[in-house]
Amino acid sequence: MTISKAVITAAGKDQTHLPLQTVVDRSGRARSALELVLAEVVSAGIEDIAIVVAPGEQDRYLAAAGSFASRLTFFIQHDPQGYGDAILRAQAFVGREMFLHLVGDHLYVSDHSQWSCAAQLVAVAQQEQCSVSAIQPTHESKLRFFGAIGGTPVAHAEKLYEITAIMEKPTPTQAEQSLIVAGQRSGYYLCFFGMHVLTPTIMDLLAEAKSTVAKTRTDASASLNLSDSLRKLIQREKYLAFQIQGQRFNIGETYGLLIAQMALALSGPDRDRILVELIELLARPK
Amino acid sequence: MVMRSLIDLIVSSDPAVRDLSIESQVGKMSRQVLLEQTRALDRFRRNHENLYERVRALFFLYAIHRFHLPNLVPESEVGKIGFEGHQHFLQRRFNEAIDVFLVEQERSGPSWAVSSALAAAYHRLAFQTLADQVRKSVKTVAGNRWMFRTGNPDEVPLKIRSELLERNAETGYPILRERTSVRMDFSHSAWSDIFFLGMDYPQGARVINASINLAVQGRHQSPEPPLDCCLRVIDRPVLRLVSIDLNAVVEITQLSQVFDFAADYVGLLKAAVIASGLVPAGLEGHQADIASVLRPLVGTGLGLEIVSRVNDIPKGSRLAVSTNLLGGLIALCMRATNQVSALTGSLTEADRRIVAARAILGEWLGGSGGGWQDSGGVWPGIKLIEGCAAAAGDPEFGISRGRLLPQHHVFSQTEVAAETRQRLQDSLILVHGGMAQNVGPILEMVTEKYLLRSDREWQARGAAIQILEQIVQHLSHGDIRAIGAATDQNFSGPLQAIIPWCTNAYTERLIARCRENYGPDFWGFWMLGGMAGGGMGFIFNPARKVEARQWLWELMKATKRELEHALPFAMDPVVYDFEINDQGTQAQMLSGGSYPVGYYPLLVPGWLRQDIQSLSNETRAELERVGQLCRDSEKDLASKLIARILPGKTDGSVSRQSLTELLEVNGFDPVAHQQLREDLLAGRLGLAQNLLPSTTTIEDVQAGDVVDCREPLPKSIMELGRAAIERGEVGVVTLAAGVGSRWTQGAGVVKALHPFVRMAGQHRSFLEIHLAKSQQTGRLHGRRPLHIVTTGYMTEQPIQAAVERWQQQNNVEGVFVSPGKSVGLRMIPTTRDLRFAWEEMPQQVLDQQQQKVRQSLRSALMNWAQSAGEAADYTDNLPMQCLHPVGHWFEVPNLLRNGLLNELLQNQPQLKYLLLHNVDTLGAAVEPGLLGMHIQSRACLSIEVITRRMEDRGGGLARVNDRVRLVEGLAMPNERDEFNLTFYNSMTTWIDIDQLLERFGLSRSTVGDAERVLKAVRQFARRLPTYITLKDVKKRWGNGQEDVFPVCQFEKLWGDMTSLADVSCQYLAVPTWRGQQLKDPAQLDGWLRDGSAATIERKCDFVA
Repeated sequence: MTISKAVITAAGKDQTHLPLQTVVDRSGRARSALELVLAEVVSAGIEDIAIVVAPGEQDRYLAAAGSFASRLTFFIQHDPQGYGDAILRAQAFVGREMFLHLVGDHLYVSDHSQWSCAAQLVAVAQQEQCSVSAIQPTHESKLRFFGAIGGTPVAHAEKLYEITAIMEKPTPTQAEQSLIVAGQRSGYYLCFFGMHVLTPTIMDLLAEAKSTVAKTRTDASASLNLSDSLRKLIQREKYLAFQIQGQRFNIGETYGLLIAQMALALSGPDRDRILVELIELLARPK
Repeated sequence: MVMRSLIDLIVSSDPAVRDLSIESQVGKMSRQVLLEQTRALDRFRRNHENLYERVRALFFLYAIHRFHLPNLVPESEVGKIGFEGHQHFLQRRFNEAIDVFLVEQERSGPSWAVSSALAAAYHRLAFQTLADQVRKSVKTVAGNRWMFRTGNPDEVPLKIRSELLERNAETGYPILRERTSVRMDFSHSAWSDIFFLGMDYPQGARVINASINLAVQGRHQSPEPPLDCCLRVIDRPVLRLVSIDLNAVVEITQLSQVFDFAADYVGLLKAAVIASGLVPAGLEGHQADIASVLRPLVGTGLGLEIVSRVNDIPKGSRLAVSTNLLGGLIALCMRATNQVSALTGSLTEADRRIVAARAILGEWLGGSGGGWQDSGGVWPGIKLIEGCAAAAGDPEFGISRGRLLPQHHVFSQTEVAAETRQRLQDSLILVHGGMAQNVGPILEMVTEKYLLRSDREWQARGAAIQILEQIVQHLSHGDIRAIGAATDQNFSGPLQAIIPWCTNAYTERLIARCRENYGPDFWGFWMLGGMAGGGMGFIFNPARKVEARQWLWELMKATKRELEHALPFAMDPVVYDFEINDQGTQAQMLSGGSYPVGYYPLLVPGWLRQDIQSLSNETRAELERVGQLCRDSEKDLASKLIARILPGKTDGSVSRQSLTELLEVNGFDPVAHQQLREDLLAGRLGLAQNLLPSTTTIEDVQAGDVVDCREPLPKSIMELGRAAIERGEVGVVTLAAGVGSRWTQGAGVVKALHPFVRMAGQHRSFLEIHLAKSQQTGRLHGRRPLHIVTTGYMTEQPIQAAVERWQQQNNVEGVFVSPGKSVGLRMIPTTRDLRFAWEEMPQQVLDQQQQKVRQSLRSALMNWAQSAGEAADYTDNLPMQCLHPVGHWFEVPNLLRNGLLNELLQNQPQLKYLLLHNVDTLGAAVEPGLLGMHIQSRACLSIEVITRRMEDRGGGLARVNDRVRLVEGLAMPNERDEFNLTFYNSMTTWIDIDQLLERFGLSRSTVGDAERVLKAVRQFARRLPTYITLKDVKKRWGNGQEDVFPVCQFEKLWGDMTSLADVSCQYLAVPTWRGQQLKDPAQLDGWLRDGSAATIERKCDFVA
């Protein structure tokens, strides 16, 4: 099965403005963060892109999408009912196909000489024909920002893991007890990269979860997360994690956009020039 | 029996060989074979990988040098303990120390001195190796490791749960409250819950314990979880730690303060903060504000408050209060930071296990250490806790046979029925007997004995394991009477066979009275925790429990009154009500303002003392709420607040008055005291001034300086002495004016009366043993020597009463009490002396974390000395604890001043000689041979000396500027000199009365002239140096809490008599058992096992 669709979530209450930020890409052009995310998707050979936004944001996103605007299909999440609910909005768009999913508040910089991060992930998923989450070794002091997995390395496959446990924003105490993966540096855990290829089963699981939540909770704040359904996915079918050659930057963190910008700039052809500028800045008295 | 290599006993895979005792093998080895075995064992322990096999080899080496090799070496073989080796030993470089001692042994052959040094070094190295392993295992438990890697405040990965940040406009931030029970153990299979033992022999490490709620009879209505902890967010970026029961509030602003455990009374809360990861252990040493950690944890400008309260349970309850409080606090902090799954309610099994692992870590951080069952209060109900074999993947695998952490099986209602639990509650009376004891030495003794597989102890351990099995069966059948019989059998059988010191005269007396009074309705005694005397259980027929409870309480109070001078009691006995807690530790969220009893009376006065504008908004709002509470409903709170805020009449004036009276009555000299203070402040007196001039030459004695009396003496000499005894020419003087500070760590107990050892079927005190030796002298030599016991202000009345009782019981006379005639008032030490004692004097460095705690405590005590006023009178304690005896030299002149010697000389004019000895020199007795040697020499004094061993520090016999004399350790200008001395001073002295009187300028005819005697004593005293010493004194407060303070006092010492040119002295080398002094309870087990106790018992005639 080839992967031709992608779902980007950008409806979180603190993240609606983030994809609209302007950054300078690796070749020196000013572009919106959204444009860079869309470029990442397209680089993996995907043409149809769904984007889930909060009410009233569609026009701004269209404007920020630049040359990719025509490929977008918008879904609106009217109430902030969680990350899982946002993905579920695109159920009809996905149908019974595997799809790439990215979060709208992350930027990605590939360390691979030819392939973008999304392209690396899509290639593995197509080869394995199953759900694959991109992961990155992350220091335990950052665990509170990410979901993390426990798993076992897949034999004869580099940087590929069979997922056995998933925890959302674990403490190091929990991570040490449940998420140790052979071969990782001490104090590092395999955390989500903000990028997954998922089978349509995840939509079934999210729908089941939503129906359960609806039965048990009547308040508007009842929230549907993705991690619980991913955990169920482990029981349901083959589910792998792949360590991407690249980096992800959460632009929603303090200084996140700045650090992402520097990483982008230093990954491009003007690296030396930018380094010189940075050193001059560093050399100035405080 | 085949003689095996000792290494076979260690490495054999056959338990029948591996569990053979070392005694069974070495008894038949010659000296040469034994030495070869020690060499092989030493090579083995250096090269072998397996930790437990190395440790067993170390214990074997210790045992050989402590108990076996000395039996094959004549005591007269001279050996020296190298100074360099001793320095290594003090600095905990045990391997290097052993190397130095072994070189000396190879050079000059085995000797008592070198064997004692090797035994001490192997012993400490074994324990250090074990402690290092436990520390390593605790650090490597999954879930604990990250805390040691976090080295920067920016890396702190935890975040407080959002629920705790939801501020209510009316009541402020919510409170998370954790309530935890304590644990009561049915059996610990003879201390098998010690970490080392569970790791060595996991299949033997089994414990049954129950989580219980408590109520103190007369104080509380009904049993509740006694440990209460709260956590909330506060609007100041500080960490506020509050211990309600210890009256302590500490606001931490710097990271370094969190690691300063002994600076205040909230050390346990600090250990919980670190062990729970709020401030990870890896941040130790980081110089930063606490706000830098609180910012990512709680938010900018916010802080945390953690409050603990122990509901009136006294210290020493043997219910693991500290560990469970630590467990409760850690559970609370871990819930608050999402490290365990549940914010409120019960914990899951996985959560309880990580909390228990963190509690072990917290205990290690705080420099203490419990057993692995101790956090049992975190679990619910009654459970079986068992050691587990280490498996692949465990950090212990390949290192020890067992894991660090045990597994818990909570008995279901099917396994132990609800009726059984109820019947247990209806039968068992749980008490705190009031005694304060240190269980630490017992745990070391058990570890050593088990790892040596000593025959008697190993069999007893097997019996204890069987008893645990029986208790499990009885629990399942609901047979409480049988449980009582089993716990009773456990205590009287295996526990006492392994550690005789786990019982005491107080407990034995209580048990005997229970049996007498209740006969078959007394179902048994139940030892709790490590030893009896504090927390204990008594099981009665439920039909009589209510009446028995009141009776037992009265009995304990009365028995305590009888024995309080002899045994260390910290408080009056109490009786508890208890119930089994079937829920385990529980948490709930409360609205702000719902703090435990005692919080506001402790905090509010401090807030009121501050400028209202400087208080945070939350605190101001809280003050308003407290005001409203007082006005509306909480009259009790209002009265407690008033009691705190407004001064009331205290009993301080009463104490002050009785201190003044005591000083007057006991011959206090205020002029000399003031002079002493001035000299101390001016630096004319002090620890540094105790030293002899640095130009003094101190060398070992030469041949002929000492008469060797360790071998049988000539018959003619024996006959000379025997005839003198028969003629009534000799008397005994037992020096007992002091209280023996080291024996009970400054508890103020009369050491002479401490019934510390069982001899001839009963617990016997030091005094009883000395009197029993005189009895035997009388039986063997036709006349019992008269016996004088010298006393001081603190010991006179109790000793007088004990002597009268003893004389009545034995139907004899001739024991005299010599009252003290002088007393000093203790002073706050100068910081100069504290620094000298702690920084310049040699001393044993402690284990890593304990050393940190010690340094923290010393820094706090230094501040105390400065703030209380250097050289000021020490009066902040019970009046008796503020006084001090002025050194044992005065006890002889007191005999002259109080007229006792004159009276004795009048009544028994043939009296010519006195045998003077310290109360803790248990071997000292009138021996015809030694008396004969003294008579023949015509010396004024004959001093008994013994071969110096590792533990005999504090001077010895030396040539000082070419004159043979005793020199005190505190006068040694160069500590290296002490290591050249062969002989140690036992203090036991034969005195020629007439010559001594003559030296004082007196005679038999003038010794009755009080004025002349007083003048003579004063003149003589001026010829002897005055030493300044620091002594530990306990101050008791609260519920059995004890603080120990170093106080300054002065002394004149008997040994300095030998420095006077006109006092002729001879020196007699005697066997070690005769001259050894028992200063520290930790010596007891070795003293018993090396045969010294049995030798002394044979010298005693006890009347049943």
